[in-house]
Amino acid sequence: MDIKTPFTASSSGRSSPVSAAPVGAILIDIDHVDFYYGASQALHDINLKIEEKKVTAFIGPSGCGKSTLLRCLNRMNDLIDGTRVAKGQIKIRGIDIYDPSVDVIELRKRVGMVFQKSNPFPKSIYENITYGLRLQGRSNKSDLDAVVEKSLRGAALWDEVKDRLHTSGLGLSGGQQQRLCIARAIAVEPEVILMDEPCSALDPIATVKVEELIQELRTKFTIVIVTHNMQQAARCSDKTAFFYMGKLIEFADTRAIFMNPANAQTEAYVSGRFG
Amino acid sequence: MDSPRPAPASDFLVNKKRVRVLGLSFDDAVKIFFGGNAFVSVLVLALITYFLFQEGFGFFGQNHRNLLTYRQAGLEYVDYIRTQESAHTALTRYLSDLRLRQFSHATLEKKLTPAAANESLVAFDNFAALYGDSVEPLRGLVSELTEQATAIKTKFLVAEDKAVERQQLTAEGKIAEAAAVQIETVDFAVEVKALTGTLPAYKELAAEFIKKLDAALLTAPAMPTAELTTRLERFRQLSSDFTATFPATTRSLETWDYTRAVPWYQAFSAFLFGREWLTASFWQDWYGIVPLFMGSLMVSLVALLLAVPMGVGAAIYVNQIASAAEQRFIKPCIEFISAIPSVVLGFFGIAVLGQLLRWLSQQDALAWVPGFPFSERLNILTAGCLLALIAVPTIFTLAEDALQNVPKAFKEASFALGATRLQTIIKIVVPASLSGIISAVLLGLGRVIGETMVVLLCAGNRIAIPDFTAGLAVVTQPVHTMTGIIAQEMGEVVRGSIHYRALFVVGLGLFFLSLAINFLAQKIVNKYRISIG
Repeated sequence: MDIKTPFTASSSGRSSPVSAAPVGAILIDIDHVDFYYGASQALHDINLKIEEKKVTAFIGPSGCGKSTLLRCLNRMNDLIDGTRVAKGQIKIRGIDIYDPSVDVIELRKRVGMVFQKSNPFPKSIYENITYGLRLQGRSNKSDLDAVVEKSLRGAALWDEVKDRLHTSGLGLSGGQQQRLCIARAIAVEPEVILMDEPCSALDPIATVKVEELIQELRTKFTIVIVTHNMQQAARCSDKTAFFYMGKLIEFADTRAIFMNPANAQTEAYVSGRFG
Repeated sequence: MDSPRPAPASDFLVNKKRVRVLGLSFDDAVKIFFGGNAFVSVLVLALITYFLFQEGFGFFGQNHRNLLTYRQAGLEYVDYIRTQESAHTALTRYLSDLRLRQFSHATLEKKLTPAAANESLVAFDNFAALYGDSVEPLRGLVSELTEQATAIKTKFLVAEDKAVERQQLTAEGKIAEAAAVQIETVDFAVEVKALTGTLPAYKELAAEFIKKLDAALLTAPAMPTAELTTRLERFRQLSSDFTATFPATTRSLETWDYTRAVPWYQAFSAFLFGREWLTASFWQDWYGIVPLFMGSLMVSLVALLLAVPMGVGAAIYVNQIASAAEQRFIKPCIEFISAIPSVVLGFFGIAVLGQLLRWLSQQDALAWVPGFPFSERLNILTAGCLLALIAVPTIFTLAEDALQNVPKAFKEASFALGATRLQTIIKIVVPASLSGIISAVLLGLGRVIGETMVVLLCAGNRIAIPDFTAGLAVVTQPVHTMTGIIAQEMGEVVRGSIHYRALFVVGLGLFFLSLAINFLAQKIVNKYRISIG
């Protein structure tokens, strides 16, 4: 497979993100992290700095640890018994999120997440979006209405669902459900949005819509996206990290990773020779 | 045998070459075995249903005859007057209660000795005696009439028995013996005249009765406290309400006619809405399901009230909060409860729980609890507590399944939005599994309503509609239940008798109740599956 085709195709569509973006401030600092599921080590000495208001893509073959790392960033791995960060630190704005003094609930309000399979609650669209706000005790009707509209517009879903806000979120199509989940995540105004293969269960047209949405969101949020789809990483991201066997192999500007990888494994993967 | 065209030789192995016994291959035998099992269960169900219906429906015809005899033999007529007598008895009970209150007021508030207290109540006692004795002439009339009506009924029943005997003899071909059976025909017109002839005497007696009551009321002494005065006023009101019913009763007696037909629907309504279940009575048998149904309902409600929080709470804890080690310990423990035979639970209820509850109720510190203290060891509460124990494993297991079926993705999404574990449980997990939990509760209810041994042993077996005027204290009253009555009485009844058939109809009622509950639970579960997608 010729990897240049998608990349050039996308770069012809818009200005290259790498050249356009200035060097951003570091938001998330992953510092020599080792991570274990019980006795098996899933991440080996990961060292990575994620910039603010950029899209960072994690790529790599299945089981390489990219989703694990993503779920470390909002401590979703805490929900799995026997997991631990054995060494190193993950700092967001200089604060070690694994420090005992950190309130994981507060952390997750700041670091939102969109999952691989769309998972709207079995509630109305309106209730799905206001769920996070109600958790924070916000119940002013006009306030909530405003956030619902803003979030749905932000997720490019408003025009499609504005007439049926009070019908079940499960009645939407797959792509709409995933955008509803994005709207739900941005409703609480996090700083970071983690996306765990958000398009892997969507058809090509829905995928395009979500990708376009990511381009709009990057102006307001820092986005970390895990993807299996290399063209997607090439199209959407500013920076790309390639993982293999729990190790970070290469981390660089997306253009550099795809056009001119420094590492032979990276080169082999992005050119489709394995993975 | 030579076929005209010899089959072409082939090594393509598609011919069946399996071992066959009686023309059946092993596969066929397995198929027949399983199919046979399924068929037998369907057949058994059909037979049970048929049997229940066949035995049960005969009841309504018999009950109709039962009600007809009640009217023809004049029992109904006598009961009009008897109602008055029992209403008066209820009033005298009110007076005894009032005396008790005065007595405790005198001993506790005024610190009188019991003897002195009794002394102070002499005026009241005289009044009460006057009021109580005024019923005597009426009571005399009732017992006289009762004897007459019973005689008529007995005569009629004997005649019926003889007729049956003659029929049997004729059927056996013993014509001579059949002819020898003496059947005394009962002429209700003549017999009943003796009853209705007492009407003028009754009218006179009733007028006298009212006068005596009013006169007695005038002698009522003043009460020591405002609260007791209100009670006495209330009594006066009740008494005047009572005397106000006299004209209506007289009218009923005047218009009573033994020839009036009993409408067919009364055979059903007397069963469905009958407030009395009275069997093997010298007077009149009543088969009303209401007290039994209310008993079952109350016991089940108490059981559910205890079992739902326990079962659902335990399910939520085990499924959502407990560590793996706790799960491994708690789940088998709760499921083990269902392995305890219900007769053992009932035994435990009599020997331990009933005693314990009564002892608790008699503690002064708990006197504020409604219904405490109580003296009946076996009552709705005792039976309800034990039935709750029976329902908990059912509710727990099914509710836990329902919680387990909530997609993990919902929980993750909730956590990712900054929800705490408790918020996630309350706002996401429980609502998403609510229909499953409701159907778990319904199946628990089905389990409880059908339970027999525990209620038979622990519900107290008093056939009466619980007195709801007692408020929450109603749960400390003994009741009898639909299942209990069948288990208790089925062994003693004559096959084919009206009592026997009445028990079958109660069984039918239970059958339909369980059916309805299970059906509802199924419906809810199905709806739930669709909504989750």
